[in-house]
Amino acid sequence: MNHRRFRHALWASWLGFISLIALWEIIAALQLLDSQVFPGPVAVIEAAIKNVPLKRLLEHIGISLLRVIMGFSLGAAVGITVGIVSGWYSKLGNVLRTPIEILRPIPPLAWIPLAIIWLGLGESSKVMIIFLGSFFPIFTNTFKGMVTIEPNIIRVAQTLGVQKNKLLFKVIFPATLPDIATGFRVGWSYSFGLVVAAELIAASRGLGYMIMHARELNMIAVIMYGVILIGTINLVTDYLIQEVILKRKLKWHYLATAY
Amino acid sequence: MDATITGLEESKKGFQLSDRWIQIITTVAIIGLWELLSRTGLIKPVHLPSPTRVLSTFIYITREGYPQDITIFKHIKATVWRIIQGYLLATATAIPLGLLIGSHFLLERAANPVITFARSIATISLLPLAIAWFGVGELSSILLIMYGAFWAILTNTIQGVKQVDVNFINVGRMFGATRRHIFFRVVLPSTLPRIFSGMKIGLGVSFMVIIAAEMVGTVKGLGALIQQSRLYYRTDITIVGMIFIGIFGLIISIGLDRLERVMLPWAIGLEEVKR
Repeated sequence: MNHRRFRHALWASWLGFISLIALWEIIAALQLLDSQVFPGPVAVIEAAIKNVPLKRLLEHIGISLLRVIMGFSLGAAVGITVGIVSGWYSKLGNVLRTPIEILRPIPPLAWIPLAIIWLGLGESSKVMIIFLGSFFPIFTNTFKGMVTIEPNIIRVAQTLGVQKNKLLFKVIFPATLPDIATGFRVGWSYSFGLVVAAELIAASRGLGYMIMHARELNMIAVIMYGVILIGTINLVTDYLIQEVILKRKLKWHYLATAY
Repeated sequence: MDATITGLEESKKGFQLSDRWIQIITTVAIIGLWELLSRTGLIKPVHLPSPTRVLSTFIYITREGYPQDITIFKHIKATVWRIIQGYLLATATAIPLGLLIGSHFLLERAANPVITFARSIATISLLPLAIAWFGVGELSSILLIMYGAFWAILTNTIQGVKQVDVNFINVGRMFGATRRHIFFRVVLPSTLPRIFSGMKIGLGVSFMVIIAAEMVGTVKGLGALIQQSRLYYRTDITIVGMIFIGIFGLIISIGLDRLERVMLPWAIGLEEVKR
């Protein structure tokens, strides 16, 4: 619905955000629940400063991010490669896609027990889970991009005498990039949820471990702090991927499709 | 999906294996190789039990159950029941709220940052909080499912309402339709496809959330099954559990696509247009 009058009603966004935090503080201040059980925003920050030293916190964040980056890079590399190969060689693609499509309905989280059996409790099992979480969306989108290319683009290129490898790398692959970008975004936020889940279930470091450990000590304020932190990191990294990397690199695509 | 890029040239050749047959042969080959590797001892049964072993475990688990007396059906029932409760709660709250927020511009603006932030909080990260507040068990699982599904349905409902063609509303007004009439005859039907796609995403999220939630501290449910059996190195049971989870995931995605086609025929092709 069109409301030209308030197109940039930014104040409303701020108002919504601030009033939510105010509401949270007010409910906490009313003391309906024990402040240990339902701490307000101020109490959360206080508890965070007191219980989680900055150095520990950065270590947790660092290890979680490192796991995501490792698994994600692996998933992206394999996903894009297999996606392109499957799209280019249709018969081989059919063979490769069969096991992928069979395994795809299994959520990556459900691989956690098997990953632990195979790779133990260390880093590699977490990397495997994140690999799976990023591989499937990136593969699927790459493949979809390859097979749904506007046929006229290929025909034009062929008419101009572009063939084989050159056709793949100079025409088809670039045309697939916007789809790969979609896969990247889906895969990234997926991976981020997965690392937290994997760390909740079995880890001794990382943000997921931090909040699970806080639960054992019954420090609800620290859990809330961790949850907000995880959300913020996810939001910021997603923004960075979308706005800074993808939009800049794929400017031609977004300009062409902007309306 | 059939029209691949290279397909143009290849179609000239004579005998061709159809795609379906390639898939069947590949599947059989993989299972055969898996069996062979397990038989020859190259893969240890603790790491990956053979397909025949998995099959016999499958039969065992439907009759005897694991842990004792909890058959696979009881696990499935527990998981499904949790999903249903959490999902229904999410649907019942998110749709009306989404319709409300979507039809008031300032409200939408005010809610937007809150929704964006709530969505980027991984639902799983709320598990410790849910356990601390409500304990391990049903209530925690249900509320987590509700949280996960809620935001997916809410955002899609809001988007749906916002995308209603203004001309439709204006035409309705011109013919003297009341606000109520416009809402039920114009806004709601054109919003339904988006609501439905939100519900689809929401159900997928619910499913993942419940598997993770069940892995922490519950005894019944598919997530609990794969985690418990892992602790006792019953890899065969873990794999049977994963197969069931996979089938479940497949039913959810295919079933909903079919349902959408039957219920909302005017929404077909919406995704293609978006591209």
